[in-house]
Amino acid sequence: MSFTHLHVSSAFSAHYGVSWPKDLVAAAIDDGADALAITDRDGLYGSVKHLKACIENGIDPIIGVDLALLEPSTGPAIHGKAKELRTVGRIIALAKGHSNGAGYAALCHLITAAHQLTTSTGVHKPNIGITREELATYVKAPNGEVLLTIMLGAGSDVGLATGHRQYNQARTLLRDWRSLLGVEALRVEITTHLSNPGEKLSTAHAIRMLRCAITVGIAPVLTNAVRYAEPDGAATADVLDSARALSSLSTLNDIQPNGQGWLKPAEHMHHLATEIARSAADTSLAPTLLRNTAALADWARLDPVPDTGWGNPVVPEPHIIGITTDPNTELAARSEAGITRLLPHETNNPLLRERLEAELSTIADLGFAPYFLTVAEVSSMITDMGIRSAARGSGASSLVNYLIGISQVNPLTHDLLFERFLSRDRATLPDIDIDVESARRHEIYRKIFDRFGAQRVSLMSMQNGYRARGAVRDAGTALGMEETDIDVIAKQLWRFSASSFRDALAEKPELAPFADRLGTEKQLDLLVDLTERLDRLPRHISMHPCGVILSDNTLRDRTPMEPSGITLPMSQFDKHDMDPMGMLKLDVLGVRMQSAITYSLAEIARIHPSAQAVATAGGHLSGKPASIPGYIQPNGAIDLALVPLDDEPTFELIRSTHTLGCFQIESPGQRELIGKLAPTEFNDLIIDISLFRPGPMKSNMVKPYLENRHGFAPEKYPHPSLAPALAETHGVTVFHEQVLRIFDVMTDCGLAKADVYRRLLGNPKAEPAVESLFRSKALRRGYSLAVIDEVWGTLSAFGSFGFCKAHGAAFAVPTYHSAWLKAHHPEAFLAGIWEHDPGMYPKRLLVAEARRMGIKILPLDINRSALGYKVEKLDGLLPPAQLPVVPRAVGAMPPGRYGIRLSLRGIRSVSEREVTRVAAGQPYDSIADVRARSGLTRTSLNHFAALGAFDSLQAGIGRGNRADLVEHLRAGSSKPVAQRHRPIPGQLSLPLGDIDLSTMLIGAEQTSLDEVVRTELDLMSLDVSAHLMESHATLLDALGVSRAQDLLAMRNGTEVLVAGVRVATQTPPMRGGRRVVFISVDDGTGCVDATFFHEAQQRCGPLLFSTRLLLIHGLTRRTGPRGISLQALDAWDLSAKSMLPAPGYLADPARARNQSFGSSALDPAAKRSAVSLAQRMAAEDLDTRGYLGA
Amino acid sequence: MRRESGERMGIFTQSIEVDCTPAGVPIRMRWQGREYRLAAEPVRWFERRKWWKEELRAERGRGPGLVDYEVWQLQVKLAGVGPLRTFEVSCQIDTGRWRIIRMPEAYKESA
Repeated sequence: MSFTHLHVSSAFSAHYGVSWPKDLVAAAIDDGADALAITDRDGLYGSVKHLKACIENGIDPIIGVDLALLEPSTGPAIHGKAKELRTVGRIIALAKGHSNGAGYAALCHLITAAHQLTTSTGVHKPNIGITREELATYVKAPNGEVLLTIMLGAGSDVGLATGHRQYNQARTLLRDWRSLLGVEALRVEITTHLSNPGEKLSTAHAIRMLRCAITVGIAPVLTNAVRYAEPDGAATADVLDSARALSSLSTLNDIQPNGQGWLKPAEHMHHLATEIARSAADTSLAPTLLRNTAALADWARLDPVPDTGWGNPVVPEPHIIGITTDPNTELAARSEAGITRLLPHETNNPLLRERLEAELSTIADLGFAPYFLTVAEVSSMITDMGIRSAARGSGASSLVNYLIGISQVNPLTHDLLFERFLSRDRATLPDIDIDVESARRHEIYRKIFDRFGAQRVSLMSMQNGYRARGAVRDAGTALGMEETDIDVIAKQLWRFSASSFRDALAEKPELAPFADRLGTEKQLDLLVDLTERLDRLPRHISMHPCGVILSDNTLRDRTPMEPSGITLPMSQFDKHDMDPMGMLKLDVLGVRMQSAITYSLAEIARIHPSAQAVATAGGHLSGKPASIPGYIQPNGAIDLALVPLDDEPTFELIRSTHTLGCFQIESPGQRELIGKLAPTEFNDLIIDISLFRPGPMKSNMVKPYLENRHGFAPEKYPHPSLAPALAETHGVTVFHEQVLRIFDVMTDCGLAKADVYRRLLGNPKAEPAVESLFRSKALRRGYSLAVIDEVWGTLSAFGSFGFCKAHGAAFAVPTYHSAWLKAHHPEAFLAGIWEHDPGMYPKRLLVAEARRMGIKILPLDINRSALGYKVEKLDGLLPPAQLPVVPRAVGAMPPGRYGIRLSLRGIRSVSEREVTRVAAGQPYDSIADVRARSGLTRTSLNHFAALGAFDSLQAGIGRGNRADLVEHLRAGSSKPVAQRHRPIPGQLSLPLGDIDLSTMLIGAEQTSLDEVVRTELDLMSLDVSAHLMESHATLLDALGVSRAQDLLAMRNGTEVLVAGVRVATQTPPMRGGRRVVFISVDDGTGCVDATFFHEAQQRCGPLLFSTRLLLIHGLTRRTGPRGISLQALDAWDLSAKSMLPAPGYLADPARARNQSFGSSALDPAAKRSAVSLAQRMAAEDLDTRGYLGA
Repeated sequence: MRRESGERMGIFTQSIEVDCTPAGVPIRMRWQGREYRLAAEPVRWFERRKWWKEELRAERGRGPGLVDYEVWQLQVKLAGVGPLRTFEVSCQIDTGRWRIIRMPEAYKESA
């Protein structure tokens, strides 16, 4: 007995399906099925996962889609305009199998059409869907062959009519379908969910459909309109129905009638067929139904390779990239040209020749030459656009990539292995990622579309699933909870998946108030359960932040497309679908740091107009007589690629750990690591970045590395034969490349195989096989058991994490460049950082950094502020009162000569249009002039005044202060100058002086600094005139609070109070042990990084994640010569004055104490600080916000 | 098992014994100490529950029975000869016990 389900929605039917494709396939297989369909709503979002599961399990995949049916609304047309479309039901379309892809292609085109905003005749679609006429164009091939079968079920127009017992209408509709598509392409879907007799999806409803089908002569098939694999999924489906309708379960109209939409076994389905037939009083109908279903299933069984292009890489046609000869010959020729251009002295270097030959032959064997040529084409296109770009990732391991201009790293100088990137043992298209300026990313996308043709290119999509907050909101709505209640709970949820909600409740002190209510308020228990049910379920797709798919002109036959947020078409497939579907994906990553660097370079060029000026300002002159270095071009432009990588002032800055704003090394954990590692050369940066990963951390590599590096402990190698591979990291395994070499040395497997083994590490299914192979081969080669044990321990812990040295090398370049700019051109650097905000911190922290760098922050000014943050020369040469904390390069311009002017952008409720118009109208000679020409709304005008943008105009008049003006504008006439009094464009307003100001009432009290700062925070989220904490100075002094800058001079273990504004919060993933929370606060003199262990978390409770201004009590922990952090004991909300401790708290015997501190012979501080670094690293590894742009 | 006597129309909390075929289709029932035989093909459906009002938990992996329950409509005659009576009965998943859901008057005279 068998049965094939032909109507199945997976979890990828957002807000509808419940089960993952693999679980549906597993359920079908358990029941002995040999085929299974997936028919997701609106697209093929789950199809590739379905194909994969079917192929792995040896059953036939069937693919279809569930689409809304659109038709013109009834009623009279208005003024000859086409009638609006409305949804009248849903239909299923199944693709024909074994048709060499024709059926699948028709399905893709149908779905693409359904997602267009208008029909082919230009009628607007109210939602995703298809009209009958559109459908007819895709169902058959030009030769009349049926490519798609349309199933009309209980949710179709016909099914809705029978549901309402409109039998005549149902028959008429079905006859219309028959004349539109023909009997061959149509089926009527018979489904009973055994709902209450007579209702929707009841057996009676099924019988009405059956009778209608028989009367009109359309073959009926049996389905179960599946939404979940098991009955257990029914409650989840209820919640999804509620989320889809944005309505509580109790008030929901469109809830499923009951919980019978599961993937029922064949026995049940046969039984249902019998039940329907018996109720219809014709038992012969049961075998007919089952036979028809089996026949349709056979017609739709896909042969994945010929039908969908499974596993077959497709690259653009050679002629598109201008290649007429054999691509392999072309690639070899271009590599040769690269040697002449980049390595002219190494033309005959045998090492180079050998490597190149090996790479080219591997590429030729895999047939990937067109791929490399395509990426090279994109890469040179970006360079030609004048955009900063850098190849990243394992692509840097390839010499070919270097020679044809894809990557900027010569793998031979950094000892990078090609096998890590590509080998004969790895036949999928390799990933090449290109980092570009984030600000110009979309420009690049458009150019790629232009260059390759829209039929070959699309954006990649990504699935966005439920996370804790979204899940709890939708679960709360389903239960009909008050929005404000849900909000309170949702805001407390911090960074864990919804599926661990209940565990989190037990563990996390900030959830304690909520946990206490569980069990007392009935709904909360349900809320937790439903939240867990929603966990990870897809909610919607969006544009992937960097993926572009490049293919040949058959791309649209192989993936459905839909509009993206930026008008370019987007594939319905995500990154996991690329390899299986043979799609070449190029990651064009927008990196804000690249934009920030570009901006900084432009500012340097703007303020220092000649090469001499640039060299003087940056302290670049060297030698006697002083000469301008080669990286400064004659016009003064700096070519960063030519800046030597051994600049001492840059490393001094890095070692100082004042690295806020620097790429990759600004986070609290990285500052701690940098302080301990004390980099002196570029390779140290590569190692630093590579160490900051879960792999090295988990295998306890950081501490031994640091000890060996500083000579505290002798370097130790498990075996002398491993010394060459491990020497650069003092015997500690850090890089993937080293893992490959270890495998190769100890088992003689070759580097290509070694990379295959490396990829299996950490995979619980495959690792044991790798282990036994490693052990037996190493034993045979004479390694002792002890050595094998030790090495395997490292390899296994290293897992598949770790870091590829090529990644590290590529990452370290912008790290070095940003530090170089910070040391030599601090003003321009900071302006670039403010402008593009590339890092992990709120912008106000980097504004505060200006004070520590001795850079004056210049306020908003109607005439001087521009569209971006601009470096501005200061009048006079006032040196700052004290030397800046952040070091500058020796010889560079001393502080006090330049400041940074705030930008017109970023002021609350001032629109981009206003800002552009203000800038276009500069300069303004009076407030009246501003009113007349700037186009600022009244609110914006008030905001500008409150921020002091008109102070300079006012100073010229000599009447009144800022407060007077604000009051004047608030009270005064709101209307701008009447149209007839405005100057016509091009005409200057008459220099009549400022009538506005001459009549202004004056005498208001000078605005206090405190109030100015509050206004700035309110309108710009920045504290410009003074640090936010300054207003608390009196209170802090009374409490005896220490400042961040003073901590470094304190002894380890000093008990202190510190205070500041929260700038970062991190929680490492919990691995069994108790959670640690890291909170960094900024007090204007620097950052304090505080660690909250379990007891401290218990004391602080809800404060941990929700409070902005914190007072923290703790013990100092020295983390290195330049680093000190805090182990927190307790914390308070600084703005809740009544809750704060009294002065003299540090002497209060009742204050919080560290239980373990000082009670053990071991130095717990040292122990804790090692733990803390590891945990800090773990906390930060998950955080890529600092890296990904967009 | 012993049951309360005295049937009050409209509220049926009494239990009932039902015998089924191996496929799970009811064939006879005992109620108030008397045996009833089926007089027509039993009809079944799955009736929705407002579980979010009735239940304290809805955890994942709980299995069937949360969202709906199976109801059988049995048309029976006392010892195969009495007047036709209609019962709507349901079997509780966790205990395996049957209970009467409804005794619709409307079915009394129908054939």
